[in-house]
Amino acid sequence: MKLVGTQQPIHDARGKASGRLRYACDLTYPGMAHLAMVFSAIPHGYVTSIDASEALAMDGVYAVLHAFNTPEYRFNHYRTQFQSAQDLPLEECVFQRYVRFTGDRVAVVAARDEETARRAAALVKVEYEKLPCALDFDQALSGIHCLDGKSPIEDEGTMTVGTPQPDEAEGIQITVHNELSRLHHAAMETHACVADYDPDEDELTIRSPSQAVFGIRTVVADMLSMPYNRVRVVKTTMGGSFGGKQEWMLEPVCAVAAKILKRPVKLVYDRAETMRSTYCRAAMRGDLRGTFRKDGTLLRLDLDILLDAGAYVGNSLDYVRAPFGKFFRCYRVPCATLHSRVVSTNTTPSGAFRSWGVAEYYVFMEHLLNKASEVLGIDPVELRLKNVLLPGEMDIKMGLPVEEARTRECLLQGAAHFQWEEKRREDARFNASSHRYKRGTAVACAGHTNTYYTRFNDFAGVEARMCDDGTVQANVSIHDHGCGTVQAFKMILAEELELPTDLIRMKEADTACTPYDYGCFSSRSTFVVGRAVQECGKNLRREICRSAAQMLHVPEDQLYLQEGTVRWQNNDQVSLTYEQVSQWTILNLRKELFADSRYHNMSNPTVTGTHFARVEVDTWTGLTKVLDYLAVHDVGQAINPAMCIAQTQGAVQMGCGAALREQMTISPDGRSVNSLAKYHLMNAPDLPDIQVELIQDGPSQEGPFGAKSIGEVGMAPVAAAVAGAVNQALDADLQVIPMDPDRIVEYITKRGY
Amino acid sequence: MRLSFFVNEEPVTLDTDPQRRLLDILREDLGLTGTKEGCSEGECGACTVLMDGLAVHSCLTLAAQLQGRHVTTIEGLEKNGELDILQRCFVEEIAIQCGFCTTGMIMSAKALLLKNPDPSPEEIRTALSGNLCRCSGYVQIVNAVSRAAHEMGGAQ
Repeated sequence: MKLVGTQQPIHDARGKASGRLRYACDLTYPGMAHLAMVFSAIPHGYVTSIDASEALAMDGVYAVLHAFNTPEYRFNHYRTQFQSAQDLPLEECVFQRYVRFTGDRVAVVAARDEETARRAAALVKVEYEKLPCALDFDQALSGIHCLDGKSPIEDEGTMTVGTPQPDEAEGIQITVHNELSRLHHAAMETHACVADYDPDEDELTIRSPSQAVFGIRTVVADMLSMPYNRVRVVKTTMGGSFGGKQEWMLEPVCAVAAKILKRPVKLVYDRAETMRSTYCRAAMRGDLRGTFRKDGTLLRLDLDILLDAGAYVGNSLDYVRAPFGKFFRCYRVPCATLHSRVVSTNTTPSGAFRSWGVAEYYVFMEHLLNKASEVLGIDPVELRLKNVLLPGEMDIKMGLPVEEARTRECLLQGAAHFQWEEKRREDARFNASSHRYKRGTAVACAGHTNTYYTRFNDFAGVEARMCDDGTVQANVSIHDHGCGTVQAFKMILAEELELPTDLIRMKEADTACTPYDYGCFSSRSTFVVGRAVQECGKNLRREICRSAAQMLHVPEDQLYLQEGTVRWQNNDQVSLTYEQVSQWTILNLRKELFADSRYHNMSNPTVTGTHFARVEVDTWTGLTKVLDYLAVHDVGQAINPAMCIAQTQGAVQMGCGAALREQMTISPDGRSVNSLAKYHLMNAPDLPDIQVELIQDGPSQEGPFGAKSIGEVGMAPVAAAVAGAVNQALDADLQVIPMDPDRIVEYITKRGY
Repeated sequence: MRLSFFVNEEPVTLDTDPQRRLLDILREDLGLTGTKEGCSEGECGACTVLMDGLAVHSCLTLAAQLQGRHVTTIEGLEKNGELDILQRCFVEEIAIQCGFCTTGMIMSAKALLLKNPDPSPEEIRTALSGNLCRCSGYVQIVNAVSRAAHEMGGAQ
């Protein structure tokens, strides 16, 4: 391979470095109205009246839209597919009368500029009838906020996978408890959307950074009763998502405003608004009981989870179940049960977040294994080696082979390169002589997915055409989050076509011209869509050779592509440029060189990572410093290893934050933390030189060139590894994530040293 | 207020509210959208620009502070169609993912290198402590700044 496996910058790096590349917040259109939102001032109640007269009196204000002067536009912000595929209730309105949290949208002001819109929004007078609210698990379970005798439990379910082992009753039972706080995605680009409506064509155009243009089209077109082909959704350059831009917050509002006002509209949430009114990672608490043989063999898992859905159920039913299946992607778990409950509260709704609950469930799992290793007297690495799935085994939940899993190699290579045993011994020596600072080293594994399959049938489509100068234009629904999907796909296509990547153009998703696609979720882009890109490249290669064969009057199978030319194996003097073949095809065969592909995968190999973390805890201040970090990942084949590594380091940054400091707390009046001054992300001095190693000798059967996934699995073991290291350092059993300075100091104070 | 200052070495004269943010003046009045807003309170550094050679948060800098000052934005780094060494190093060291923090990060690094042409990795991390990146673990960013310093001649 010439290109696959090389280190390439993201496709739009130059525009990002020059500052010229435009994000949604940078777009302007003639006559555009700027929108500013009025949010609910109370966590629960009814809007009884809205007086917008003062706002409307301001110079430059075009309109104030709210529930009392617009039809009721209902939708479900989690929907990504049509109703028959995704049976979801229309649980919220663009403008609410019944408000369920302090981020609910009450009214929107449209004005000639953002400042005028925001000043006017502050003048909109809203009156409320207050209702009792529930802001945490205990208040929620009491049902204080429930109307008409409704239960606070939105969903309760049990699931069993596998069969009990004969010696289960003699097993050693170990239980861990964990509580996890709400997290903010904190993509540096806050939420933004631009929409325009053409009344003559009855066409609505929405531009926003999203993970699924077709999902937005479904939601908006259904909500406005418009034909799908008159709603055009274009994915703009995305300044990070991490799951935060896969549910539709601004798009329905902008669609309604553009249609009513018949002019372009732009809505940009600032950080406070993004934190207040979009969605977060759910707060969770629960217990995991493991049953082990004395030799460390895992016999059974029983997980009991309570999840805070916040004000809307959204994705919670899926979010609480999906990660359970990921236990069977990494470990040999013969039997497991999940009991889950989802409760509603009057807080920020929970929603999609990178790893989809897997990072959370592996906090329980790895905590359990660390405790088991103590109880059973088995080294943590050894205990994991005993239980990880090996090639030839099955993921018993999905009923699919794990294929060429390299989890064992991740553990062995990681332990060797991280100097696991030496570090653990050094920590013990250090802790024996240090009173104030304590060090701990821990390991964590986790498994994830590459596709929606087997949850449902996954597929992708790609088209590519050769221009008459021999360059290539490809058409595929890409939603690059900023982690290099476009570049990876260009590399895949370029590899098949023997072309440099800069001769290939590939735009991102646009419902007006790119093929239907589920969107960029489930770590499916490279594995599923990337494979379709590869197939399309092969098909276009065949078309080029077929034309050239007619041009040269030689058999097609004697031709091959080399460095942008068609060559004949029988005579190395024969060389046609793609431009010559393309032009000849147009003139003589009366068509352009074109190929498409449809690919549906029927496999989903396990993809895992093993992470090693070493921390130092200052027992006086409660501050924890991550001293060393190594992430080892089984990726099959890295298409662009530099971006895989950079993305994984980002996952480590995010997971360290989750483990040590990030939390969206809720004040007694129902307001969530809404500022980066109070929501602490890891910055450059907080982090060590994070090491990432990729194991690439375990190819998938179906991914392009054997690739698996990296986007979400990178996040999955991090908080578990760091939390484990803190507990190891303190010889403690801290259960609440994040293990922030307050919690650590409280623990030290109680313990009394 | 009537305001005269320099942006990317060009004189700018505006009649504006003294309380307007430099960020809004750049983005809305001058069309310089390379400067980004990420937090509106000086925490994330996405809006970093140089004012008389020092890195400042343009979201916390008001019009009234600009009289006679020299402001440099990301758009002012490129010369004759050539990226600045720092910009090029960010591209080549794979220090750019989503890119939303990039311009502010580059401006903070520029301010560092103006003051300290040969910074250690620790000094780079400290200088960038006010710039948040959510996509990476800062490793490539630190490498890019180190390499740019080296290419610019370091301490010589």
